[in-house]
Amino acid sequence: MKNRILSLLLCAAALVSLLAGCGSAGAGSANSAAGSAEASSAGNAAAGGSAGSGAAAETQKPGQLVLYTWEDMFPREVLEGFEQRTGTKIVYSNFDYDETMLEKLAAANGGDYDVIIADDYIIEQAVAEGLVGALDKSILTNFGNINPLYQGQFYDPEDLYTVPYGCGIPLIVYDPEQVDIEISGYSDLWDPTLRDAVAITANYRVINGITLLSMGKSMNEEDLDVIAQAGERLLELAPNIRLIQDDNTQNALLNGEAAAAFLYTSQVTQVMAENPELKVVYPREGLGFGIMAGFVPVNAPNAKAANEFLNYLLEPEVSKACFEYIGYVNTNKAADGIVDPALVAPADAPEGEFIMNVSEEANDAYNRNWTAFKAACGQ
Amino acid sequence: MKRDRWWLCIVPLYAFTLVFVLGPVLYMVAVSFARNTGGYGFQWSFTLDNFRKMRDPVYLQCFQQSLLLALSTTVLNVLIGYPFGYFMARRSPRGKRLLLFLIMIPFWTSSLIRLYGWLILLQARGVLNRFLMWLGMIDTPLKILYTYPAVLIGMVYGLFPFMVLAVYTSVEKMDWTLVEAARDLGASPLRAFLTVTLKLTLPGLMSGVILTFVPSMGLFFIADILGGNKIVLVGSLIQDQMTRGSNQPFAAALALILSVMTTLLLWLYRKVTGTSDLEGMF
Repeated sequence: MKNRILSLLLCAAALVSLLAGCGSAGAGSANSAAGSAEASSAGNAAAGGSAGSGAAAETQKPGQLVLYTWEDMFPREVLEGFEQRTGTKIVYSNFDYDETMLEKLAAANGGDYDVIIADDYIIEQAVAEGLVGALDKSILTNFGNINPLYQGQFYDPEDLYTVPYGCGIPLIVYDPEQVDIEISGYSDLWDPTLRDAVAITANYRVINGITLLSMGKSMNEEDLDVIAQAGERLLELAPNIRLIQDDNTQNALLNGEAAAAFLYTSQVTQVMAENPELKVVYPREGLGFGIMAGFVPVNAPNAKAANEFLNYLLEPEVSKACFEYIGYVNTNKAADGIVDPALVAPADAPEGEFIMNVSEEANDAYNRNWTAFKAACGQ
Repeated sequence: MKRDRWWLCIVPLYAFTLVFVLGPVLYMVAVSFARNTGGYGFQWSFTLDNFRKMRDPVYLQCFQQSLLLALSTTVLNVLIGYPFGYFMARRSPRGKRLLLFLIMIPFWTSSLIRLYGWLILLQARGVLNRFLMWLGMIDTPLKILYTYPAVLIGMVYGLFPFMVLAVYTSVEKMDWTLVEAARDLGASPLRAFLTVTLKLTLPGLMSGVILTFVPSMGLFFIADILGGNKIVLVGSLIQDQMTRGSNQPFAAALALILSVMTTLLLWLYRKVTGTSDLEGMF
């Protein structure tokens, strides 16, 4: 009898310690997330970061603004500046993927969150599902600061719902010392002199997209024959590819593995800071655009503060601090003169195109191209 | 009566296994027959499309690539790991402890971090190339990183300890008087090794083979990092389909076939080698 009780106790103890382990691990990770983005309310941020529903219970308090976006999207002083000026406390809650955000927002019926910053295509879906509220332009006095280049886009053609928060434009960067030709567009990446010397990012739609652009087609081509042609053309690029990688792709230019690279905006900014001798190319065939934008959910608990926050972000000094922190192309015209010039797209930059959802068949074809291309690179 | 209730203590363990091991596997099998609807969604309507899609040579070659890499990793590990484990077991107790310690130390660091170490060693302006150029053996940096050999190095390195430890335990507890007897009866050292030592340590070697082969069928991050994503294994294909490619049913079907393939190979292996007792396993 005694033994049985003892063993049951042990089992219970083991279970409890297991659960305790989970709890402390969760808190630890959430704290680190809060530490990197926002300091003033670590406890609240932890609740928001680890579970959206946890944040929901606390959002009803007045004087709070629940900001929902990826981790590490704001420099601390920008958030603290807003808190000091308005007395509104910012609760920073974060998601990993746009899809997670949409799911939670839908579950909260367009409530719980005050400001959400996410990618263009998911905003289109959120608007279509009626989860996005119109901006209050009477509060948004700085709305005119937005660079019109980044307005009127597919996800918000009338500019009713969104304030852009940075634009991503993947660009080509190369080392003129190691490259014999002058690179001006995607097609130059196919040049035989670049054999085994090109690093590219790893998004299958983007790489299919630039191949299509180099053929004079759209990045969102639906015609399966044209996609198959792009696949053939990609195979011809394979001998030039040194590596395919999404994280820290820019390092290949610095450690001598690659002479030319196709990089995301933040990577371009980083690599140019390390080695200003490198050349940045806005490819002549056209650009791939990705815009992140802020919006106010339709049932935001504190819509007034949300509009005030978006307005605050449009102040030139605030924009400068933000864009230099996240390293994305500046979307605030009023900050063009003061922000790091590397973050301002040149006036003669070619038109941009967005990657949009395509039919399932086209998506399958893009996937197939991608796998065949990667395998050919390893041959 | 008293003994009868003892099994209650194990119930949580069984429940855990059922819920978190069997559950996901069943879910995966179910999803592999579902229809993809694009985005992150799928529809519960029965289809074999996901399996049909795999017949495309583009996807078949991923299986071939995975199999080849797993086989070459295992063979190389046997060739390097067996002698290593063998000689390790023949050291003095102090020497054994030291070698064991040295084998275990790297395990205290995340395998990902150790892989980044290889990146630093192998890259164009890395340690190895600088050293060779300093020696004057080469003029221009060798392109090792992001090639097949780099992946192979990473795989062999990552799974080496499993082979060594399996062989070591086996050789360690072997009865050496049997080898002496063989030698006394006139066997040459080689013959004694082949007929006695190897036979007796075979179970250890076999579990070493399984411990290296099975993980190497699934390990894809080594190929992604050291191979620059250019060696496409089934694992990376599954990851692609699961995340960016957003085709969960296809990913599930690939995973199912990969598991079935690995299981079949294991079964075949045990059948061919005739081993039923694998040391430390099963």
